[in-house]
Amino acid sequence: MMQQENIRAISLSEMGENSTGNIAKIEGDSRFISRIISIGLTPGSSFTLLKNDGRSPVLVFCRDTVIAVNRRECSQIYVKVEA
Amino acid sequence: MAETKTIALLGQPNSGKSTLFNNLTGLHQHVGNWPGKTVERAEGFFCYNDVEYKVVDLPGSYGLSANSEEEVVTRNFIWNGVADLTCVLVDASQLERSLYMLADFVGVRSPVMLVLNMMDVAEAAGKKIDVKAIEKKLGIPVLGFSAAETSRYPEFFKKMEAAIKHPTCLDSADLREELNAGGETPLHMLEEILDDLKIGNSENLWLAVKLLENDKLVRKAVKDALPFARRNAVESILNSAEGCDGGIATGEAKYRWISKIVKETCSEKTPEKVFGKWDRIATHRIKGKIFSFVIMVVSLICCMILAFPGMGIGFGLQPVLQSLVDRICGSLGLWPVVASFINNVLVGGTCITICMTSFIFSIVFVFRILEEIGYMARFSYAFDNWLSRLGLHGKAIMPLFSGIGCTAGAVCGTRVLDTRGQRLLALVLLWAIPCGSKVAVVLFLASTFFGSAAPFFALGYVALIFASFWLSSFLFGNKLVPENERVGMIMELPPYHKPHWKMIAAMVGRSTWGIFKKALKMILMVAALFWALSYASDGNVENTILYKIGNAIEPVTMFFGMRWELFVSYLGGMFSKEASLGIMSTLFNHTGETFSLVTRVAASENLGEVLARTISKPEALAFIFASMFNVPCVLAMGTTYREVGTIKWLATIMGYYIALSLGLAFIGYHIGLLIF
Repeated sequence: MMQQENIRAISLSEMGENSTGNIAKIEGDSRFISRIISIGLTPGSSFTLLKNDGRSPVLVFCRDTVIAVNRRECSQIYVKVEA
Repeated sequence: MAETKTIALLGQPNSGKSTLFNNLTGLHQHVGNWPGKTVERAEGFFCYNDVEYKVVDLPGSYGLSANSEEEVVTRNFIWNGVADLTCVLVDASQLERSLYMLADFVGVRSPVMLVLNMMDVAEAAGKKIDVKAIEKKLGIPVLGFSAAETSRYPEFFKKMEAAIKHPTCLDSADLREELNAGGETPLHMLEEILDDLKIGNSENLWLAVKLLENDKLVRKAVKDALPFARRNAVESILNSAEGCDGGIATGEAKYRWISKIVKETCSEKTPEKVFGKWDRIATHRIKGKIFSFVIMVVSLICCMILAFPGMGIGFGLQPVLQSLVDRICGSLGLWPVVASFINNVLVGGTCITICMTSFIFSIVFVFRILEEIGYMARFSYAFDNWLSRLGLHGKAIMPLFSGIGCTAGAVCGTRVLDTRGQRLLALVLLWAIPCGSKVAVVLFLASTFFGSAAPFFALGYVALIFASFWLSSFLFGNKLVPENERVGMIMELPPYHKPHWKMIAAMVGRSTWGIFKKALKMILMVAALFWALSYASDGNVENTILYKIGNAIEPVTMFFGMRWELFVSYLGGMFSKEASLGIMSTLFNHTGETFSLVTRVAASENLGEVLARTISKPEALAFIFASMFNVPCVLAMGTTYREVGTIKWLATIMGYYIALSLGLAFIGYHIGLLIF
């Protein structure tokens, strides 16, 4: 239970640069889900957030790949960040 | 020779599919459309050990779910089981992610072979991949490969030949285990209901996975094939809580399956620098745009330099050949009409084609290099915010920008876009972007008639171009790229690669040669038609057919503020921008020579003075506006036709721009009449 308190779920677009996280949940229609999964982001995958300047698409590094995700789509991806 | 074997190439974007395709087939390629679809179908042939192989380059897709027209084509091809062998290409340097395509292929009962491309890159990054171990684990032929290195092709041929002789399919047991990890899963239930159903060449497992991923086409096919009670059972599972997660659970299972393979067969160092200083700059919100802009300007300059030899040959050859033809015809005592035809149609047409295609070669070449290096994705990233407002993907920035250099070449570059709708929309916008020659013509006219006010014309032109973007996006955007199909940018930024210059030069050279042959035919035809209309044996303009037609329609063209001479120049501008000035020069300055589309002397010395004397300001205004949004040159129309594939779309875009330019001319003329 202690561990749970240290972890909070936020949306990908709220994450700070250079932090690592774990994808908790992905929401959206099946078209979006099929696209995001085929590029390598699935619940449970851990990643590093490379860039988030608040306006440009977010850049994450996951499964050896740098992936750009549009901000609107980011808000449908929830992540667990270690406090 | 025995029967032809069919090989299908399947892989995600950036997997090196087109490199493999081009190196396998070389000049023996055929590009057309898939029957009843507007998706490009690339096929090619090669021979190995006296057997002929047909290679089908399947349209780019990320998996086997059918979300776009391209993906439907790919999936149906796989489904129909036409191929004797499907080569699944994956990027070895990003093995875990790119194996997703193979994981999606599990359950398809079709012979398959796995090609781990870019092994050199993976090795350089410190990755050790045990190809033999993967082969053993998967039970299908696996090849460690590097598609850009021609010396490695014998390995490919050997592996492929063996794979066709002893066809093997992927075994689905391991993936099934992962998918059913939770025990009584919806997948398990679906599989039981589907039971003995047979659709395409896929197992029930694959069908059930696609049902859970909410693949509309599979859902329909299953519904049509099942009796009522079982159909309802399927629906109720899909509508239940676990059944409608849209494929997240199946996606996770596929990656678990991949992880197991990768863990047992590969070892890797953690990469030290995945996101270096350059990437920080290239993706910066402001610096990135400036940086991209600088790179684009440099690439355009490179294009000009590359195009220079071809331009030199085209320009240099024309006067030499023309005087030669004159002399030979003169000494043989042939009619001057023969010399005129040879010079103005055959020689002139060929030389202009050489000039124009050298631009196409250089732009497409520089394009491919930037793409291969991996820089294209960074451009797209930097400009995605702007372009998404027009309904376009960030990738469209490069073709749009290179339009400043040469519209015909830039048109070929729209191929980087993923869907046909995106490509068409980019083409529509692209036509509004003036190439170097068009800018020169417009500025020449503006400074001739309006002197010091010319800079305002330049600014106004830029504003009008952006306004036309808005208009085009408003008119075409929703139809070509429907709102519900607009997925925001989800894109890989590939690692930087060293470009393979020679291979790219050979690839682009081959495709340019194809364009040259087609362009030559077309340009000669147009030049011949114009020559026939504009030939007069005594050199008097008033004895040409064009003069008669021009005069007859002048009442109509005056409506747009263009007297017949100007209207003919406007039409000439559709052939080439220089032709528009050349024709004016002949018609207004009476330079003595018959007017021709291929005149290289763009404007005789005192053309400006003569024009300013003869043409009124409102007329000039009309003509400048008409020139701004006139359709691009004949070659750009040709390459556009090649990209859109149908006359209907070419005619639509042409009609749109003719209407736009004449509309502006009309407005300009009538406002001009009020002012001056």
